[in-house]
Amino acid sequence: MSVIHRVAYGIKHILELDKPRHHLMVYADDTFVVSFPGSGDTWTVFLIANLLQLKPPVTLPDVERFIPAIDGQTRRFFRAMPRPRVIQHHESFDPQYKNVIYIVRDPRDVVVSAYNSTHEWTGADGGDGFMSFVTEFVTGEKSDIGSWGEHVASWIATRGNAPRFLLLRYEDLVSETVRELDKVARFLGRQATAEHLAEAVKRSSVENKHRLEQAQSAGAKKTTSFPLAKEGGWRTTLPKAAVCEIESAWGPLMSTLGYELSETGAAKCRATEVAELERD
Amino acid sequence: MIHELRYVLDHILGRDLAERYFKTFPDDTFLVSFPRSGNTWTRFLIGNLVRPNEAISFLNVERVIPDTSALSNRYLERIPRPRIIKSHQFFDARYKRVIYIVRDPRDVVLSYYNFQRKYGEIDDQYPLEQYLPRFIAGDVPGLIGWGSWGEHVLSWLATRHNSPGFLLLRYEAMLADPVCELGKVAKFLGIETTAEALAAVVERSSADNMRRMEKTQSDKWVVTKGRRKDIPFVGKAKEGGWQSLLPENAIDEIEEAWGPLMKALGYQLTRRPAAPLLPPYIHLQNAYTVPIRQQV
Repeated sequence: MSVIHRVAYGIKHILELDKPRHHLMVYADDTFVVSFPGSGDTWTVFLIANLLQLKPPVTLPDVERFIPAIDGQTRRFFRAMPRPRVIQHHESFDPQYKNVIYIVRDPRDVVVSAYNSTHEWTGADGGDGFMSFVTEFVTGEKSDIGSWGEHVASWIATRGNAPRFLLLRYEDLVSETVRELDKVARFLGRQATAEHLAEAVKRSSVENKHRLEQAQSAGAKKTTSFPLAKEGGWRTTLPKAAVCEIESAWGPLMSTLGYELSETGAAKCRATEVAELERD
Repeated sequence: MIHELRYVLDHILGRDLAERYFKTFPDDTFLVSFPRSGNTWTRFLIGNLVRPNEAISFLNVERVIPDTSALSNRYLERIPRPRIIKSHQFFDARYKRVIYIVRDPRDVVLSYYNFQRKYGEIDDQYPLEQYLPRFIAGDVPGLIGWGSWGEHVLSWLATRHNSPGFLLLRYEAMLADPVCELGKVAKFLGIETTAEALAAVVERSSADNMRRMEKTQSDKWVVTKGRRKDIPFVGKAKEGGWQSLLPENAIDEIEEAWGPLMKALGYQLTRRPAAPLLPPYIHLQNAYTVPIRQQV
């Protein structure tokens, strides 16, 4: 970073106009919605925002004020937010965050979503370009927040059994939205009636969100893209080699989370287990 | 406000502490542990291993294996690569090559308790009974940004154990057979060496030697400068001190909090049986071929 950049950052910092990222003053009653990028968090956060406020209806720019991303608003904004705050972020385990809602999604869908957000999807035979993307996705080599497996394991191993940790599967949020949102409401200490939950879900429906996006895209400074909520889409789009690579890397972790492995992946996991038993 | 101005000025001059967020390179190796787990001793061992002609002391250790929580961004940027960097950070994905040291938490708590008294982070008379539950929760000053012992260890093991860029060392195994454990480090760092050379490194890095150096150098070392001297930085360098020093209910509390993890690491539980550490996050079953020395 050049001196000019550092001075500019310094002035912003004094005026509290810098994004907090690692300088957020964390309060004990803050709740963090955490996920690996591409895990359906945009929609989930919209859903939670609708749970927290029904009237007036939440719009997309609203979401970034209700449940701001940690690098989405200034420090001044975070300081002025009414407590208890709900904040979104994508970092792997951080001990400072005491109340955490963690959203996990099948990595075979995450990889497609991650690829879509940076490349043009050209179909299942994405070729070598896609396979090297998958390899990078699996090793997490170039990532500051780690691979999908590191991210998920860092949170679940440290907090999996903690009372102030709520693990949600994106797949369940899509299929059993009311039930899962009720868990969120309880976690946030909100009493939500069945009608309230149903209304929040209705407002966050995929169609509704697409409509909002279209209506607001002209005026809003920044609209967030919304990955198609097609779960298990990997079954038709993901090349076998990619499925195999992902399952070989994270098979046991995926099974624990209830993500069924394909035949080859399952066989490999069984082989590992047997080998371990034999060594014992 | 003054604090803020100072931070900004330090940042502009590149003098702010590196801590967690500094520029890393793919060829960096990180020496990581929870505080008071044998990290400084290991720094001396590795320092003497990689610089055989330069006796490592508190005066030059920061140049050879710099400490992220004591040095500035600018200082770290000027260390010639490939760097070996000391850190107490919980899991950080940017650390691609990691030597992680783990120590029996029943000993760590006693050592950290004394350390925090030395640094005035807790009152000198602060009772151990009150300290312990806060230590277990990771809720003592100084630990707030680092997590509890269990979170720290699990954050690294669950993400990196069994990966080629990760070497797990147990402090107790290092005490029992330092030459063997240092041999693993040399192999990890790709250093060709001999048993004699390793033994010489171990000798130069002995606790007695470190204590002697601390006596004359503690006023000049960034970590101990200006701190009280009646509690030394270099600890007893022993394992199992908890057996005589920790009250039974304290042992009980620790084993209740971290039993499965302790057992997986080979630390024998004395107060209660522990459930196995749940797979699939961590497979540690056969990680240890060097037995821990029997308690005397």
